[in-house]
Amino acid sequence: MIIEIGHYTLVLALATSLILSIVPLIGARRNDMAMMALAPVGAIMTFLLVLISFAALTWAYVVSDFSLKNVWENSHSMMPLIYKYSGVWGNHEGSMLLWLLILVFFSALVAVFGRNLPDSLRANVIVVQSWITTAFTLFILLTSNPFARLSPAPAEGQDLNPVLQDLGLAVHPPLLYLGYVGFSVCFSFAVAALIDGRIDAAWARWVRPWTLAAWTFLTAGIAMGSYWAYYELGWGGWWFWDPVENASFMPWLAGTALLHSALVMEKREALKIWTVLLAIMTFSLSLLGTFLVRSGVLTSVHAFATDPTRGIFILVILMLFVGGAFALFAWRAPMLKAGGLFAPISREGALVLNNLILTVATATVLIGTLYPLVLETLTGEKISVGAPFFDMTFGLLMIPLLFAVPFGPMLAWKRGDLLGAMQRLYVAAGLALVAGFGLYYIQNGGPVMAAFGLIIGFWAMFGALADLWHRANFSKLPFNVAWRRLVGLPRSTFGTAFAHFGIGVTVLGVVMVTTFETESVIEMKQGMTAEAGGYSLVFDGMRESIGPNFTEEQGHFTISKGGVAVADTWSSKRIYTARGMPTTEAGIVTFGFSQLYVSLGDPIAGGGMVVRIWWKPFILCIWGGCVIMMIGGFISLSDRRLRVGAPTRKAKPAKAPKLEAAE
Amino acid sequence: MFLWIILAILTAAVAAVFLVTLARGSRPAVDDRAGEIAVYRDQLTELERDRGLGLISAQDAEYAKAEIGRRLIAVAGDADKDADCPAPRGGLTATGAVMTALVPAVGLSLYLLLGSPQLPDQPLEARLANPGNNMALLVAKAERHLAENPKDGAGWDLLAPIYFRSMRLADAELAYRNAIRFLGPSPERLSGLGETLVAGTDGIVTEDARLAFEESVRLEPGNPRARFYVALGLEQSGRRDEARAAFEAIAKDSPSDAPWMELVQQHIASTGGTPQATTNAAPGGPTSDDMAAAEDMPEGDRQDMIRGMVESLAARLEGDPNNLEGWLRLVRSYSVLGDKEKAAEALKTGLKTFPAEGDEGRQLIALAREIGIAAEGVTQ
Repeated sequence: MIIEIGHYTLVLALATSLILSIVPLIGARRNDMAMMALAPVGAIMTFLLVLISFAALTWAYVVSDFSLKNVWENSHSMMPLIYKYSGVWGNHEGSMLLWLLILVFFSALVAVFGRNLPDSLRANVIVVQSWITTAFTLFILLTSNPFARLSPAPAEGQDLNPVLQDLGLAVHPPLLYLGYVGFSVCFSFAVAALIDGRIDAAWARWVRPWTLAAWTFLTAGIAMGSYWAYYELGWGGWWFWDPVENASFMPWLAGTALLHSALVMEKREALKIWTVLLAIMTFSLSLLGTFLVRSGVLTSVHAFATDPTRGIFILVILMLFVGGAFALFAWRAPMLKAGGLFAPISREGALVLNNLILTVATATVLIGTLYPLVLETLTGEKISVGAPFFDMTFGLLMIPLLFAVPFGPMLAWKRGDLLGAMQRLYVAAGLALVAGFGLYYIQNGGPVMAAFGLIIGFWAMFGALADLWHRANFSKLPFNVAWRRLVGLPRSTFGTAFAHFGIGVTVLGVVMVTTFETESVIEMKQGMTAEAGGYSLVFDGMRESIGPNFTEEQGHFTISKGGVAVADTWSSKRIYTARGMPTTEAGIVTFGFSQLYVSLGDPIAGGGMVVRIWWKPFILCIWGGCVIMMIGGFISLSDRRLRVGAPTRKAKPAKAPKLEAAE
Repeated sequence: MFLWIILAILTAAVAAVFLVTLARGSRPAVDDRAGEIAVYRDQLTELERDRGLGLISAQDAEYAKAEIGRRLIAVAGDADKDADCPAPRGGLTATGAVMTALVPAVGLSLYLLLGSPQLPDQPLEARLANPGNNMALLVAKAERHLAENPKDGAGWDLLAPIYFRSMRLADAELAYRNAIRFLGPSPERLSGLGETLVAGTDGIVTEDARLAFEESVRLEPGNPRARFYVALGLEQSGRRDEARAAFEAIAKDSPSDAPWMELVQQHIASTGGTPQATTNAAPGGPTSDDMAAAEDMPEGDRQDMIRGMVESLAARLEGDPNNLEGWLRLVRSYSVLGDKEKAAEALKTGLKTFPAEGDEGRQLIALAREIGIAAEGVTQ
């Protein structure tokens, strides 16, 4: 009965979002408060209904109710409990329900935190959210219903894909969806504003926390996915320019651009039209990503099942929303008032440069992702666009962008003083040069580009610090006065500094790993020693062991430096019994920011194993930088100014839990 | 019934929330631009603070202040204009009525189309606690027991033939081997293991299987099943004379109406001997008595009689489809009669009751594969 209640509440959610798609819109046109008031109440109710539905499905997974086809296909009674929870979204139907849950969650958040918005704007935002909700609820109910039943029920399930039986599945998809779907709010704000025909600096400020929240979660989700692929797939890589990765990377790039252009719009009322367009594009790219991943156009671990009707359904949703939004944009945008003027050398100018480069970079990734697909559809020819293409295009684009990063925050609004900014940055530049070349010489070798890359990374890092240094005016004021000024700086300033510092750290990690990593594939017999990154690995032998739903062969390695044992690790190959599917569990040992990565290959005749050993210098910087960016996002979100509301209602939003509670 | 009450309450609650919200009164929206004004005022304070800290020059601050001031004035002007918005007119009753109708209409019609209100929840634990006659559940229960007590030979002994019958050959082999390990060899276990191995190699008696059968014969010299496979192994390895002698020995030691006689006679013939007349039927078809009766009939009558019996089985299954053994027998009988179309049809009908995904369905498909009929549109 619980399952059927869950199914019914999902159907009811369709009914409520249908009502919300229409009635508050009429209310906003007629300026009727009663009709508009349905929007926030209905948004919260829709969220509760979908939540019940999701809880019912989760319950079915936890108690292994194999009368649900979805549970039978993707679960097993012997699976550890955590994977029964995370297995709910480890399949197509369940992950779409999670997508929907997060979508209505954001609608409900708009209802709760949107008290400071003008009534008609809030109503319209929820209306647009409801359009998306209606489309995706229909998609789930008609093509991907997780509540389809089996009768009689089988006695045992078919198990979850072993690659997905990992903590990563519990973390990566929810974070990624919070990001992906979070941009729907920006989209809805943009479309709502176009419907209203009124977009101003205040609009930009209201949109910013949503952009920031979505961007922060997307950063975390992508970083988590990358780390998961790194340790689970056993290839030792952390980014493959795989279309599925690009699908999440494109909204991130566009979202980063949006974050910056919204800033210009808020401060100067400039770039209005562009910001609205970016908001639409960002969510369109999210939808495109959903289409690419969910339609089965791409085969990967993410494409759980391929079913042409699903692909066509999502394609229709995609065309409807993207096409509709762009049509509305084309019709309404010319009516928007133009904003303030600015000189090329100014904060605005720097942010425009940022937007230009990020947009071109997004387009590059888009072309690299879609071109092979289009070519294959048209001519049947299969080509793969891989790292060389992206390195040459995307990589080169990033150099001027990263070079400009420290200048942005230093320049004044409207007209800046490049010379002044340069003067303030010369210490950072000098430090970056010294640090970049220093690290280069310590590692000794590698192309010249690497040294340049390291300098760029340090440049972003020191530039971020220099910005804080000069704002607090440490150079002129006594330390304790400057310190008080530093503490008194707005939180968003710290957010900016953290984010820019983080991107520098990530660049550093990327350059270090791609330039200085070593890989060796060797046949090792028991007792043999291999060298990597200045460490010696001794292969101690193999043993067999049995997990709850798998059997594994584990190899043991002792790692020593200068004859002293410093660490040991197990690297294993598993066979998941229910599907008879093998996975590798690499042995990873961390030394500072660097890692040794040991992966087992096939056994060789006469005993012993093929072993792949990587030395990954500074690899943790890649994800560490993302974590720093994320922290920057959260610090910025906690900035009081993002929650400025109407004075009369100020008491409420101020007391309400901060946005971070949405985590 | 209880389910419907809950669904009705949910529907009513959703409609009620909408109606109450709507009924709270139709006042014109105060299109307050206060939010925007607050944003601009905040920008002004921020500007003052930045100037206080010396983060921007006094001149820049003046420019910025003027710009924000212009925005403030613009907003105030808009607010005056918006203040003359007309009050909304009625139409709320109609909206409320449409909404009240829409919630149950969409909810119930779509749910009736997609939902399965008749099916209760079936958590695995509860089903295992009360498995009834469901073979798959009994197997699952035994499997759980064995996962905790892997040394319980009796459990393996019980499961092994069930696995074999449902064509889970790898599991069957493991179960037979475990049963032999913990309970010691017996003719049944050894023959079962042998047959499992033979089934896994498409009927070839491998070295492993031969050893199992020979051991079985050693333990129970008269065991015809094991002796048959030993003979079959001889035949397959090209030792026709020894094979024929072995088959003839089985025939000599067996009663003439033993069900395996026909098969043994075939093999005597195929190894160059002279088969004796047999009196039994293909396995699983009409009983051997029926067939004996049919022996004396003219060919046409005999076919009719068998067909009649098969038809009655088909009719019985139509009334009571929940009978796996029946479906298995029906499919096999049609194939014995050479009616592949009917066999495929019976398979399809049987799969409606026992979906291909389930264990019962798998048995049906395994049988279909064995006798070579296509299970179209059925995937495993």
